[in-house]
Amino acid sequence: MSKIKAENVNVYYGSKQALFDVSIDIAEKEVTALIGPSGCGKSTFLRCLNRMNDVIEICRVEGSIKMDNLELNSRKLDVVRLREKVGMVFQKPNPFPKTIYENVAYGPTIHGIAQSKEEMDQIVETSLKKAALWNEVKDRLDEIGTGLSGGQQQRLCIARAISVSPEVILMDEPCSALDPIATAQIEELIDDLKKEVTIVIVTHSMSQAARVSQKTGFFHLGKLIEFGPTDKIFKNPDNQQTQDYITGRFG
Amino acid sequence: MSEKPHIVKSYEEQLQLLKDTIVKMGTGVEKQLENTIQSLVKKDISLAEKSIKDDELTDKYEINIEEQVVNLIALRQPMAIDLRETVVALKVSSDLERIGDLAKNISKRLTKIGTDLPNDITKNFEIAGLKASKQVNAVLNSYLHRAKDTAENVWNSDEEIDQMTNSNMEAAVKHLEKNKKDIQKVTQLLFMLKNIERIGDHATNIAEQVYFLITGDYLEGDRPKG
Repeated sequence: MSKIKAENVNVYYGSKQALFDVSIDIAEKEVTALIGPSGCGKSTFLRCLNRMNDVIEICRVEGSIKMDNLELNSRKLDVVRLREKVGMVFQKPNPFPKTIYENVAYGPTIHGIAQSKEEMDQIVETSLKKAALWNEVKDRLDEIGTGLSGGQQQRLCIARAISVSPEVILMDEPCSALDPIATAQIEELIDDLKKEVTIVIVTHSMSQAARVSQKTGFFHLGKLIEFGPTDKIFKNPDNQQTQDYITGRFG
Repeated sequence: MSEKPHIVKSYEEQLQLLKDTIVKMGTGVEKQLENTIQSLVKKDISLAEKSIKDDELTDKYEINIEEQVVNLIALRQPMAIDLRETVVALKVSSDLERIGDLAKNISKRLTKIGTDLPNDITKNFEIAGLKASKQVNAVLNSYLHRAKDTAENVWNSDEEIDQMTNSNMEAAVKHLEKNKKDIQKVTQLLFMLKNIERIGDHATNIAEQVYFLITGDYLEGDRPKG
């Protein structure tokens, strides 16, 4: 079942067009990987899904992006509510310079999700457990989040993202700064999270896209060149450009 | 799809080496099979002995290809056409090794029974053997030239060898009924005929692999069988 349906999305940075007529169906409770060379538009597209492009003044998004029939590209949309539903994890772990507890409790606090201290404690514990970090931090929740290792910080950011029970999580190269063990932990987490959440991940690692996703989209020069089941894309893509890219023949 | 070279030259070279090794192994196996059949045609047992000896090289090629494939998977993580190239090389080398083994087995039997054999059966053996050799040659060409149609032709024409084998075996049994003294030789010849049929099967397996390599799809439907 489709969770997000983008139709003819065009994005401009001033006079420069960054995305050309991108149409894509993102399936619910699946992992969709977006791949492509730097500057191909995959992160630009990802940022359309929670209106992160709004913060770029010269950026203009045209076309339709619907999440469960809610038009995300509408001016009337409550962007704060949208970002509660669509969380984001970035390339570089970016916990707040606050305690581990406060990092996770931040979202539920600003969205008024928890009614009591007990309820908040429960949300923090559940989120940290889902992010596979609880056992490592349960005795030091009042320590500062930025003091954790890179992999732990990234899992803390994921815990922060899931603390508001989002329906979709966007990940922009979430493992590019992590070692193989921390990467494996995040990938295991992605596997686990997709039972409840729709995940869209931008990655430069072909093998990571192959490992974690069910569908893969290949972007090039602002166009979605090919989109399909991940095994098909990596075993026998239909498009020559896709094949050239994933086999390292590009350019 | 026509392929551009890889950005990383050493990767390109490794994949090329793998293809070249398959071609070399295939050429060696073809020669082995030719020597085996010509040994009977020319009544020259030294050719059978050469085929037995050359099987050592075939086995070495198989090990070498396996090493190359394991290295490519471990160190390069090939994708798409490169993944198919790698996996297919492993399977093709295994079929080629079996063809070499079967040629060696025929040659061993020949060295036991000699080349003074009933003419009618050896003629049948020769025809089936040449047909099998032709199949092996065609399928190796399909690999070398990435010729999908040739691979399909090989796949479709294996039934001819199957039919030949059936009628050749019937003829051998009939010969035996009339010439009981030939029992030892004809028994060996029956195995040799069966080996030729198996060689045809392995050529067909390779055809399936070449088709998969080129298209990414599997040859569908039941293979025609005799």
